Amino acid sequence: MLASGSACPDSSDLSALPALALNAPVALIAPYVPQQTLVIHKERQICQAEFLRDLQIVSAGLPDANFALNLCEDRYYFLLGFCALLVKGAINLLPPNRQPLTLTELAQDYPGCYCLFDKDQPCDLPSINLAELLSNTAPETTDTPALPLIPAQQIAAIAFTSGSTGKPQANAKCWGTLAATARLLGQRLGADLIAPTIVGTVPPQHMYGLETTLFMVLQAGMVMHSDKPFFPADVQQLLQQLSSKAILVTTPIHLRALINADLPMPPLAGIISATAPLDPSLAQAAEQCFQAPLWEIYGCTEAGSMATRRSTQTAAWQLLDGFQLTLTDTGACASAPHLQVDAPIQDQLELQDDGRFLLCGRNADMINVAGKRASLANLTLQLLRIDGVQDGVIFLPPPSSQASNSQQEARPVALVVSELPEKTILTALAQRVDAPFLPRPLRKVTALPRNETGKLTAAALHQLWNQLHEQR
Amino acid sequence: MSSHTQEELELAALLIEALDLEDLEPADINPEAPLFDASHSESLGLDSIDALEISLAIAKHYKVQLKADDENNKAIFHSLRSLSSYINVQRA
Repeated sequence: MLASGSACPDSSDLSALPALALNAPVALIAPYVPQQTLVIHKERQICQAEFLRDLQIVSAGLPDANFALNLCEDRYYFLLGFCALLVKGAINLLPPNRQPLTLTELAQDYPGCYCLFDKDQPCDLPSINLAELLSNTAPETTDTPALPLIPAQQIAAIAFTSGSTGKPQANAKCWGTLAATARLLGQRLGADLIAPTIVGTVPPQHMYGLETTLFMVLQAGMVMHSDKPFFPADVQQLLQQLSSKAILVTTPIHLRALINADLPMPPLAGIISATAPLDPSLAQAAEQCFQAPLWEIYGCTEAGSMATRRSTQTAAWQLLDGFQLTLTDTGACASAPHLQVDAPIQDQLELQDDGRFLLCGRNADMINVAGKRASLANLTLQLLRIDGVQDGVIFLPPPSSQASNSQQEARPVALVVSELPEKTILTALAQRVDAPFLPRPLRKVTALPRNETGKLTAAALHQLWNQLHEQR
Repeated sequence: MSSHTQEELELAALLIEALDLEDLEPADINPEAPLFDASHSESLGLDSIDALEISLAIAKHYKVQLKADDENNKAIFHSLRSLSSYINVQRA
């Protein structure tokens, strides 16, 4: 379905964008201002119309399959791949990690699935290099293609999170839901900014990076910077090159590194942090370092981003417009007009009279390292699958033994009963698990402290762990 | 394992301290083994968070700022030896 290529007269006014109904088509870019810069890519400023021309080339070059693993690392190529699949009615698969074994296992469930990549071919599946496809294809016309309209209920992506069952859990995301979330975030965080540039240290493949660094660009009038600066000096250099103030999308781990690096940073328009709660003193230091407000986003797999807080001013989270929380016997549940079904919340929340909420406890099974989530139960399952491992468990160590990081960001550790050397077990585990989740350290024991029913309690594990530590 | 230079041992000690690799001695780190490839039997199996920690430690200790935009980044970060010689060049 295509709309006319002209812009609405008042389309640059973000607040004029209507709330999205789930049954209506939604334009790929809103507000649509063809000559406005959409992406800064390798020093090239790409306006919305140019993007649509690139998009036409890419979508014409893709096969007619229903699914593709979008593994592009460059944010612009990822965006092109994402939107090309969208306009073809195909689905972006966003895997929990890039391990070849994970990718090939995942693809088995999605007939005809191929890979989109831009640098190193990630696995043996049929693959298309988007960077080459784009540079090797001459545009057929200089006309600007019509702005695509996408049905709101069309599934745009399936995001996989590591589930507790050993198999990645599929979370289907509708185009309309992603678009609405980005508009709500844009209104909350960027209402008084004019086309700020979004610079992300996070990858676009995970929900947080997708909602902020891609969808706030497509649906909230912001400009994408395609780079993913990594070291503090990279972030500093990139921000200094920008002609206007930027919004930095990052994580607590990166913020801590940026502040500890003690490099002079240019002032920003804003900082966004998510994936783990930010220490208030770190939030304060970040606002000073970048002379900008810092916002934290709270979200969950099922609902996506659902609340924000200005962390230097309050601990309470304010829901995005339209969200409602209901407390039930089994926990909290979030609903919103742009969600097809209500979303269960795994964390423990405390509702306040003013409609805001406090986070009281995180789901004990889910851990966050470097912006990636994993289930401890699933990590343990992967450990037990290794030939020669008789028993084992992966868990978070007691807080005292992790001096440097807050508990939410702590690395997991492992206790294993096996004849294999530690290094062999870790090497085997690295085939199935992303590096940040590899236990550090992994210790061999003669038996795990299981109780009469065979269960492992956190208390028993922590006690044994502390004993092992004291012996060293 | 080929033998370490004095600079490599110093850098190895810095990495062990920065990354809490409490089980290792500086001489245990093979100077030519990959730092990051966890599937390699002698690798330290480091990841991107470690790379951030390493960059902070190196900036403080050697006053050298690491950058990722360098095309040679993979080569620089490949092993203890390559990282050490990169730091030596930057300090010279």
